[in-house]
Amino acid sequence: MGVLRLGHANIRVLDMDAARKHYEGILGLIKTHEDSDGNVYLKGWDEWDKYSFVLSPSDKAGLNHVAFKVENDSDLDHLKSAIADYGIEVEEVPAGTLYACGRALKLNIPSGHTMYLYAEKEYFGKAVGETNPEPWPDGLLGMGVRWLDHTLLMCELNPEKGINKVAENVKFFSEVLGFGLSEQVMVGPDGNIQAAAWMFRTSTPHDIAFVGGPERGLHHCAFYLEDWSEILKAADILGKRKVKMDVTPQRHGITRGSTIYFFDPSGNRNETFAGLGYLAQPDMPPITWTEDQLWRGIFYHTGEEAGEFTSVYT
Amino acid sequence: MKNDADRSQRSEKFCVTILDTGERYVCSPAEHLLRAMRALGRKGIPSGCHGGGCGVCKIKVEEGEIQASLMSREHISVAEQCEKVVLACRTFPRSDIKLRVLGKMQKSVVRRYGFV
Repeated sequence: MGVLRLGHANIRVLDMDAARKHYEGILGLIKTHEDSDGNVYLKGWDEWDKYSFVLSPSDKAGLNHVAFKVENDSDLDHLKSAIADYGIEVEEVPAGTLYACGRALKLNIPSGHTMYLYAEKEYFGKAVGETNPEPWPDGLLGMGVRWLDHTLLMCELNPEKGINKVAENVKFFSEVLGFGLSEQVMVGPDGNIQAAAWMFRTSTPHDIAFVGGPERGLHHCAFYLEDWSEILKAADILGKRKVKMDVTPQRHGITRGSTIYFFDPSGNRNETFAGLGYLAQPDMPPITWTEDQLWRGIFYHTGEEAGEFTSVYT
Repeated sequence: MKNDADRSQRSEKFCVTILDTGERYVCSPAEHLLRAMRALGRKGIPSGCHGGGCGVCKIKVEEGEIQASLMSREHISVAEQCEKVVLACRTFPRSDIKLRVLGKMQKSVVRRYGFV
């Protein structure tokens, strides 16, 4: 019942040829469709739905929308009522509005980012099939990422003006969409300002995260790799291809993931994320990071800001 | 790609001057102004995504010829680009360059609440 997982993200790119070389040739996503407007639809090899990542040609970088898949078509009716009752405008769009998807709900979450909810997306299948599969397929390019793991949205935070879109998103995702809160960063003189939050519907530490910043934006989209050795090889691939890296292989305190941050050719940040972290469950007590240890939470080894982590995003 | 390779084979280098600080460094026609600065360990222009998306490396080219590639209109308007207000990470020198820095890193501002 309810939201299953992050279904896809749709980002804007300035140069489609460069973007395809990056996402297909370096990350190893697989192209499954291209429409007449030039949008390119991609998936990881271990995903079964038609796509999880959409590139749209544009003169501005950044995020168009995120979309979550729900389990049953009837969930859309329940969620539509619940979202409207909460006081957020929600529109139902017909099947096909989102390519290869059934009817969908469209709304702006409290931070202002556009989100869709849908129940059906065309089946494509895993690259290894479903009968007696091999553990991984031949012919993958670059890193061969497995799936879209999560996204992090930058949300306006200005406590002096009483604005905290992180906290507003957390309340909405908890109360209406049924997400759990796995971890949070609490800041300010009294430690009562929620400056960042990690939330889940699956059993991983996060399907979506929110971090406070000066304005709304896309911080990153993350793709799953299996373990440290894949992370280190992915970093070699980035070095070899001279991709702009923001943060070289690291361990997160928050979520415990192994990570690399880097940028696509339009300046949108990507992450490769490895490791389960821990089992996230609705009854797990949320983990809190205090302001004096927040960078230990973000980058566990150094405990300091690395790269331009919160000051640069699209 | 072929043109870039041809240019780099000529090993032509131009001198880039950051007027705000007096910093000078060399940059080949195939390298963008930000990459060359960073590769030499120099400072002065804020460094972000290196893809023309985040906007922190905004500069004004006061003197010299440039070739610019695609950059986000969120940060550089057509009118600005005509005035050689550009992102350093999308700008390739075609002569010696003198520039001023317009971009400011958010993190250079005082932080009161964790990330902001």
